[in-house]
Amino acid sequence: MTQTASAAKKPAATKTRAGSTARKTAGPKKARTRKKQAQAFPFTAIVGQEEMKLSLILNIIDPRIGGVLVMGHRGTGKSTTVRALAEVLPMIERVRDDIYNRTTTQYLEAEKPRKGTKALAEEDLVIEDIPVPVVDLPLGATEDRVCGTIDIEQALTSGVKAFEPGLLAQANRGFLYIDEVNLLDDHLVDVLLDVAASGRNVVEREGISIRHPARFVLVGSGNPEEGELRPQLLDRFGLHARIITITDVDRRVEIVKRRRLFDDDPQAFLKKWNREQKKLQKQILNAKELLPEVTMSDDVLTDVARLCMQLGIDGHRGELTITRTAHAFAAFKGDKEVTMEHVREIAGLALRHRLRKDPLETIDPGEKIERELAKVLGEAEEV
Amino acid sequence: MIAFTDIVGMDMAKQALMLLAVDPSLGGVVIPASVGSGKSTLARSFADILPEDTPFVELPLNVTEDRLIGGVDLEATLVKGERVVQHGVLSRAHEGVLYVDSLSLLDSSAVSHVMDAMSRGAVLVEREGLSEVHPSKFMLIGTYDPTDGDVRMGLLDRIGMIVPFATQNDYRARKQIVSAVIGETDAEDTEDELRMLKGLIAAAKELLPKVSMTSEQMQGLIQSAVSLGVEGNRVDIFAVRAALASAALAQRNDVDEDDLKLAVKLVLVPRATRMPQREEEVQEEMPPDEEMPPEEPETEDQDAPPDTPDADAEEEQEETPDMIEELMMDAVETELPDNIMNISLASKKKSTSGSRGEALNNRRGRFVRAQDGEMRSGKVALIPTLISAAPWQASRKSEREKKYGKSATALLINKEDVKIKKFRDKSGTLYVFMVDASGSMALNRMRQAKGAVSHLLQNAYVHRDQVALLSFRGKEAQVLLPPSQSVDRAKRELDVLPTGGGTPLSSALYLGWETAKQARTKGISQIMFVLITDGRGNIGLQSSFDKDAQKASKEELESEIGALAASISADGIASIVIDTQMNYLSRGEAPRLAEKLGGRYFYLPNAKAEQIAEAALS
Repeated sequence: MTQTASAAKKPAATKTRAGSTARKTAGPKKARTRKKQAQAFPFTAIVGQEEMKLSLILNIIDPRIGGVLVMGHRGTGKSTTVRALAEVLPMIERVRDDIYNRTTTQYLEAEKPRKGTKALAEEDLVIEDIPVPVVDLPLGATEDRVCGTIDIEQALTSGVKAFEPGLLAQANRGFLYIDEVNLLDDHLVDVLLDVAASGRNVVEREGISIRHPARFVLVGSGNPEEGELRPQLLDRFGLHARIITITDVDRRVEIVKRRRLFDDDPQAFLKKWNREQKKLQKQILNAKELLPEVTMSDDVLTDVARLCMQLGIDGHRGELTITRTAHAFAAFKGDKEVTMEHVREIAGLALRHRLRKDPLETIDPGEKIERELAKVLGEAEEV
Repeated sequence: MIAFTDIVGMDMAKQALMLLAVDPSLGGVVIPASVGSGKSTLARSFADILPEDTPFVELPLNVTEDRLIGGVDLEATLVKGERVVQHGVLSRAHEGVLYVDSLSLLDSSAVSHVMDAMSRGAVLVEREGLSEVHPSKFMLIGTYDPTDGDVRMGLLDRIGMIVPFATQNDYRARKQIVSAVIGETDAEDTEDELRMLKGLIAAAKELLPKVSMTSEQMQGLIQSAVSLGVEGNRVDIFAVRAALASAALAQRNDVDEDDLKLAVKLVLVPRATRMPQREEEVQEEMPPDEEMPPEEPETEDQDAPPDTPDADAEEEQEETPDMIEELMMDAVETELPDNIMNISLASKKKSTSGSRGEALNNRRGRFVRAQDGEMRSGKVALIPTLISAAPWQASRKSEREKKYGKSATALLINKEDVKIKKFRDKSGTLYVFMVDASGSMALNRMRQAKGAVSHLLQNAYVHRDQVALLSFRGKEAQVLLPPSQSVDRAKRELDVLPTGGGTPLSSALYLGWETAKQARTKGISQIMFVLITDGRGNIGLQSSFDKDAQKASKEELESEIGALAASISADGIASIVIDTQMNYLSRGEAPRLAEKLGGRYFYLPNAKAEQIAEAALS
């Protein structure tokens, strides 16, 4: 860690110890970001779009799955669903007011004592519970706000080069959501790829030098007709959920009715769905607790590997993702043992975007996966 | 200023605006109309029927990102020594109207921001050290001339009503009426009428929460949406709202047939991807990823929406919604021109708009270096600015103290200190593929073009290149795929393509040139034509526009193609001609075409898709 960085973080450390709110004047605060979203439509009241909902839930259960890309038709509730996610997320512990949402261990690790300062001890730190952060990255965001930059105000008023953390800092240990991700500026995509790969954000600009943890679940959504996603970015997403317009009239009527009820009286609507929301939250929490106990037999693992091989998937990311996702799915269903049935349910989500793209291919990737899966299972039975 | 009530004609547009005034959650109204139809006048007069101090903000086409979203007001910030926030256009339109003239020419990044604000009801400002939320709920009024190109579908999806395109004769007649009326309107009458209209709208607003719609009516509306192939659920909600607003405006508590018809016309039909009755078309429009049952032999059954898997179940279960739907669709069929699907394409033929030049340059792309500049003309490079101000601090301070006494300002920055960031623009190239679909080799060429297009698109992400696709056969050329980056779309458009017939090469060049001009207004500066043809045009431009025109002679054709090619070349458009004809059949037309276009010629019989793509990239 460089000197400038430590200078920037010092006030945060002293503040935590003193329990004061000295930083209040220094730029945007986390609390503001959380409050800014208006009442969101309840997650559980969303009709259909099971693929997307399941993908999001699995990512809450195991954030290492690596996020989800939701691509599909216009006006099908992609962003509504992601924004509804915040309400079913569990709480996490962090050092109070820490701008990077670090746990005490992470905090002590990063804030190693320097010459002349007293070592921080765990009992010096105050802990608080916050909901898992969901940070919205709008298309118009500038790089300095995404990565963090020098605090202009302080630079101008007192001449001090202080670091003002960006969206990546706020998103640490949470979700980072980008709507219309396929339209994101290339240089921001570069930044995201970098950070997503390393889990750290390194800022070397305008005379400051900072590095901080930035591990987040990347959630992107968009309409493929507006533009393609860069292959490197596509590859970064653990899961790929696809959305199409519902053509069933009754279900569409139901969507309209629910939306109208919500618009007329959001409070009453939320109250009506409160039980469902709580139920899902509980199910997710249980799954999170169960996850470490979930196991996968060697047979299943072999089948998964064979499936990936037959689909011609490059690299190990595919296998890793499908395995983790299957574990999370089993945990969600309350099962301790991953079976090929679990794998079948999530194989499309985990592998769809990893198949090699052939421009003349007419078969749907989902179908192809299903077909190969059947083959693998057929062989497995023979052996 | 002409008042809302004084405008004669454009009844549908006026009706739509009134519905919007009753229920602003309808999102907005888009009015496509030709030049001189009075669409802008009407749009501006919308303020007349809104409550007194409703904001009415006009969005200029060349708006910069800072102005649109808002951000730090650097000038004021530097003067005051503390952060001063400047609200953007989107935020200033909050609870009012945002008006865009020539909506189809709006820069694509601006369109994205408008879309984002509409879906959130707010603007997230994450810029230049600023992190704020500015509420931004507005009604969007957009007018455009369809010959200037289309409005992005994603944006249209967030705007409730789209007024059907008025045909040319109509607008001429209406223009006369308008001018005739203006002469004799009495200011007092106008005021009375406006007051009445405002009262009507206020009453409707009050009534609106009490207006109801039966389940059958709602089902009927949504069934219409499904049969018309309307994408997404947002539009369903708009349709329902429009019908309710229409009933409220008529001071009724219940929605009736006319309300439903109006909703279908203003909300659903303009977004139709197919007409419900014509089965052949339905199949063409189907996205490939949607499941489609294998074609069934029975074709008499026309009532069932062809792609609803459970259409039959629907019919058994409830008769009424079906009847409602049928009724509405009948109204649609009889009242709208039957070529609704082709309207935007058809109107593209006579484009008059020249290039409007690119608006923004030094604001997007990669930051290259800082240099002296006006604070307003770009992004201020902070550190270089501070550095250049630093040496003068002592002298400036003492000077200032002499004039104004002691001050707390730590830093004094003058205009000369300001350094502006220079960006390198990274907007890509538009490749316009023109594929000869005439003659026997057509299928083969199509396959090659398809491969090459996919290849280019998949390798072009970083450059943000785009691809457009034209085919030409029979009487005229046709845009299959407007400039796009979507592989999915390109594939879908290429999957169905009729082949055979004459070779309207002139029409292809003309249409390609038009496409290029439109792309330029949207900020794409580099354009390359990729012609895959044997170069033997045999249909003249006259015959493309006018079916009864005399067949052009060989000489006429030659000079026509020559003139077009020369203009295209003079316009700075690069070209390559790829000849896939077998050698012994060639009479050298394709190399001559390449020469006229000032482009390169490739002879690639049985060319692989990659080879064509490489040729275009080299």
